Amino acid sequence: MNQTMDRRRLLATAALGGVVGATGLGSLAPEAAFAAEPATIEPGAPDPNFAEGRISRISGSMLLVTGSDTVLHSIRITDGTSIWKLHPTTFDRVVVGDGLYARGVRLPDGTLAADSVWVNIVNLHGHIAAVGRNVLHLDHQGRRIVAHVVPDRSAAVYNGTPAVSDLSLLRVGRHVQVLGAWHPDTNEIDIATVYAAA
Amino acid sequence: MAALRGEVSWFCCGSAWGPCGTAGGGACGTCSSGNYQHAWPNTSDACLAITRPDRCGVTGVTRRGCGFRHYTTNLCTGARVGTTIADCGPQTDLFCGERTCCGSACGSNRIIDLTPAAYSAIASLSAGLRPCSVDTV
Repeated sequence: MNQTMDRRRLLATAALGGVVGATGLGSLAPEAAFAAEPATIEPGAPDPNFAEGRISRISGSMLLVTGSDTVLHSIRITDGTSIWKLHPTTFDRVVVGDGLYARGVRLPDGTLAADSVWVNIVNLHGHIAAVGRNVLHLDHQGRRIVAHVVPDRSAAVYNGTPAVSDLSLLRVGRHVQVLGAWHPDTNEIDIATVYAAA
Repeated sequence: MAALRGEVSWFCCGSAWGPCGTAGGGACGTCSSGNYQHAWPNTSDACLAITRPDRCGVTGVTRRGCGFRHYTTNLCTGARVGTTIADCGPQTDLFCGERTCCGSACGSNRIIDLTPAAYSAIASLSAGLRPCSVDTV
């Protein structure tokens, strides 16, 4: 049996109440978890093992998510699910109203047993309109985004150099890409990484 | 097309939450975050006038239209995904010379953006940029 099927079986077991921890699944860091999986989805087609939307209810280990296209998703969090919300975190930090992207295995009952959930994650491009104390004001597609610098978390990558915590080289007018976490129902985000050109 | 080496990132499109809510269906009108799709810097003259990979010395970005298939390999892991063109992008010239590496595997300049569904099939969304190669077979 190949590795993909082993993982599917283990995730299904976890989703159905079996005791499966991250060690049982091997590393579940997303990069490692998906490295060996062949992409079998037809190019251009929707991926049944992927879901997005906003959390409308949390029931036990199940997230009920309303997709942006109004499709409803049931997403099961297992012992092996990796959760990102600005940084790797735990299920208790996830709340109703959060947005998410999730990847996992679609079970026969339609539930998505999640390998990875990225909560409120955004990846925006914009120009720096203003720089304040621990905040960047970005013009993004004609809208203003307030991007907060989070001490001990936010980092900058200047033209591909290793990430540093010093964001002082960011200047008004510069184009940047900001990976971060949205504050639901606001125009504000927390910065994980700012990518800036030279 | 010979394999093109560079950087891959991700973008949202279609129906979406948060700041992505204004993204729309992309230049092709069909883009959706949940589909295996991508943005390509040379879908038309108008597109190329915006993205300008030539300003970064990137050659080999062949003109391709909506629905054309490319295959992107994450050079960090070897994971590969096939996607179709649904938008114009990335804006390569805004990050000329940018370089991303995983150990000795490196890519310079942004050559493709994947939807969240496609990107998350080969990398974590929390890793916003990865070295990649892009081909057509």
